[in-house]
Amino acid sequence: MIAAPAATGWYLYGVVGAADERVRRSVEQLHGVGGAGGLVLVGGGSLAAVAGPVSLHEFGEEALRERLNDRDWLERAALAHEEVLERVAEAAAVVPLRFGSVHLRLDDVEALLDARGPAFAAALARVTGRVELGVKAWLEPRRAGAAPASSGRAYLEQLRDARRRAAAESRELAATLASAHARLLERAEEGVVNPPQPRELTGREDEMVLNAAYLVGARDEALILEVAELDDRHRRDGLRFEVTGPWPPYNFVDQGAFA
Amino acid sequence: MSVHAPTLQERVTLIELVDRVLNTGVVLTGDITLAVADVDLVYLGLRVLLSSVSTLEAAA
Repeated sequence: MIAAPAATGWYLYGVVGAADERVRRSVEQLHGVGGAGGLVLVGGGSLAAVAGPVSLHEFGEEALRERLNDRDWLERAALAHEEVLERVAEAAAVVPLRFGSVHLRLDDVEALLDARGPAFAAALARVTGRVELGVKAWLEPRRAGAAPASSGRAYLEQLRDARRRAAAESRELAATLASAHARLLERAEEGVVNPPQPRELTGREDEMVLNAAYLVGARDEALILEVAELDDRHRRDGLRFEVTGPWPPYNFVDQGAFA
Repeated sequence: MSVHAPTLQERVTLIELVDRVLNTGVVLTGDITLAVADVDLVYLGLRVLLSSVSTLEAAA
């Protein structure tokens, strides 16, 4: 039984199939979210968890809630979490855990693997040999409108025309995005559409109008090519498409199975 | 020929991380789990940081 020194917990990054040397090697040099490294694989059965020791001063429940308000800390820790998962994903299929899963004892982790074994096994099977690709669409800000109206009545008419135009453009955009998602789904095994992020969060002038993720075969380029095609087709209308990834399959785990 | 492979920090912004690391992936709940980051809490935290924002809708 491995016991952590006092005031240490075990931070979980993800779950892989049976512990293997490639995965172990892929994480042993990494610093992890706590910065001190020491990442291990926990579990001797058909599943293993990627875990690392963290100080409870930093990752205990109260401390963690406070640190979530520290943007610099959060960015560093989230990046470290992502780095671990990306390195693991290079070596083996992995079910990503969300940020912030801390356990007091490795025994607890093993018990969790046992208790949720079937759910993890199913989740692993779903993502083995596959990667997640992110697709975002951005709409350029509207250009300035017509010259100012000369009278109150003309102003009202202008306003009404502008509203009609905006409504029509909005319907057209919705149709374009629905069609794009349908085309991308044809080139993927699965896809999800998430809420777009507001400008306050992105800090960009253009507006995010599509925020989607797709599960594709690891060496399948069809979706990437489709995104390039969509971008080409719509750029003159101020609508841009971009693809990011490959990502560990965060969006393709069935959270309900783990509740 | 040398090719600059972007580092993780160059490739990934906090915005991407919010959408993945902080908002998706398996959440394990139960008595033996010490701490689980709450999604609402994360957005609240970010809301506090974005001081210029007057209204910011919580994630759906």
